[in-house]
Amino acid sequence: MTRTLLALAAVLLVLVPGAPAWAHNALAEASPAKNATLKESPREVKLRFLQKLDPKYTTITVSGAAKATMGVSAPKVDGATGVVTVQTPLANGVYTVAYQVVSTDGHTVKGSYEFTVDDPAPALGRGPVVDDPEAPESLAPSPAPSSQAPSAGPEITAVAGNRAKPDDTGSTIVGFVVGIVVALAAGAAFLYIRRRKA
Amino acid sequence: MTVSRRIVLAGGAVAGLGTAAAVAGCSAGGASGGRAGAASAPVAVSGPGIGTATVAFHGPRQAGVTTEPPAHAAFVSFTLARGTDRKALGRMMRLLTDDAARLTRGEPALGDTEAELAVHPAALTVTFGFGPGLYRAAGLPSPVADLPAFTVDRLQDRWCGGDLLLQICADDPLTVTHAQRMLIKDARPFGGVRWVQRGFRRSPGVHPAGFTQRNVLGQLDGTANPRDAAMETAVWNPDGGTTLVVRRIRAEIETWDLLSVSDKENAVGRRMTSGAPLSGTAEFDEPDFAKLDDTGLPLMPDFAHVTRARMTDPRFKILRRPYNYDEAPDAQGRPDSGLIFASYQADIERQYLPIQRRLAEKDLLNEWTTPIGSSVFAIPPGCAQDGWIGERVLG
Repeated sequence: MTRTLLALAAVLLVLVPGAPAWAHNALAEASPAKNATLKESPREVKLRFLQKLDPKYTTITVSGAAKATMGVSAPKVDGATGVVTVQTPLANGVYTVAYQVVSTDGHTVKGSYEFTVDDPAPALGRGPVVDDPEAPESLAPSPAPSSQAPSAGPEITAVAGNRAKPDDTGSTIVGFVVGIVVALAAGAAFLYIRRRKA
Repeated sequence: MTVSRRIVLAGGAVAGLGTAAAVAGCSAGGASGGRAGAASAPVAVSGPGIGTATVAFHGPRQAGVTTEPPAHAAFVSFTLARGTDRKALGRMMRLLTDDAARLTRGEPALGDTEAELAVHPAALTVTFGFGPGLYRAAGLPSPVADLPAFTVDRLQDRWCGGDLLLQICADDPLTVTHAQRMLIKDARPFGGVRWVQRGFRRSPGVHPAGFTQRNVLGQLDGTANPRDAAMETAVWNPDGGTTLVVRRIRAEIETWDLLSVSDKENAVGRRMTSGAPLSGTAEFDEPDFAKLDDTGLPLMPDFAHVTRARMTDPRFKILRRPYNYDEAPDAQGRPDSGLIFASYQADIERQYLPIQRRLAEKDLLNEWTTPIGSSVFAIPPGCAQDGWIGERVLG
């Protein structure tokens, strides 16, 4: 019994110093999901975080090829969830969702991920789809700061670009997993040594 | 051990002498500086020159507004005694003007009991401000009104308001102390001291002139100040007057210290080291609020201080002339530091209020700054040698 308690204490001892990492916010769930391929344009982008969001300090953007900003509403925040509605249906292509939120301790958390719209029956009135995977980003015209309908011009579906970048989220989770592994190893080693002595 | 220590000491002594020599060289009017510390760039410092430097007191505009801020300042606010009427105010301002003019020239005040302390004006300026209460006492309409309440405010009475303000600035703290003592003596028959806020900037010679100063949070403070012609438009009214907002802004250093450098930069919108906007590379690069990073996020976050405070039209800019404060920490060692925010603008309503409303509504930096004092003053025009400050208002 004592031994188990001691082992538990050892585990806690290793785990506790990692605790402040929890003060930082991180993305918990996203819709559309990371790397998802959708059969139709999403009506909204919904991001759920680990901590409550402050509407003042929450930014969610959606951009298409060549960083072209897609028109989305201002984020609506409910607790730890932020939602932006997509103002004009997204044409087929790869899109980047980027977010910037501020944790309760003032730490800024940024991240981004991609999803793809691949509508087998694209709506009428869309321009022809241009497939040019070689198009380098630097040659693209500078993105318009204002919201723009994606159909204003030929669309570039394949993007030479960003894979999902979980920035902070990823490192926090990796750190946590490493912490648990280290803790368990320490506990096991402790028990093993105790048993040998006995 | 002894030897190495002796060498170190000797080295120190030599370095000390070298510095002294360099200073002496400069003060002798020589452009021959830069011998001793050839490695570090020599700064134009003149020892005795700083002490004897003067800023003209008389003129159509008061000094201490668009003149380069010296290293030390005392903001002294008074509450007028009951029954101090327009005539009494005139007497008070004649006395104060006379002694302020003497002290700024490096001459003792009338009846100065420590005349020796007056001989180093060190760029002394005394700037007078009239609060709403002074105009009430004089039976006149006030050109300034107390600021409305902002949600971020945590105002304490002891740092708020005032009928008369003296902004005393000099490059030497003892000069400021002496001027403050003499001028309070003059004003005492007419009112009581409401609050005094003492602040500091870098000492002369630490930076080249015109270098943007840092505040206690480490940020470059004043990069966006109007300059030259834009300063004329932003600060001065045609009559030679202006207005002053003084806010005491406590820095929440304990929680600020928990942030990483990039967190701090996101809150401000500028790099901590260079002061460059996050969309640029150098301090004076114009911030580009439309510029996006690789993922499509604005490089200048919309909640960053610079994004919120930015005004490009000079008619809407304000001249920030702030001083740092640093009082004794509490028993737990927590600092009592912050900024004596002082801004000059032609019109508070047109220039200061829109900026402050935007900042109060959304500015990530608000998480680490708390306004605890607030006051407004009209800065009357300057005066000629035979005149007195406020003569056109009270005369």
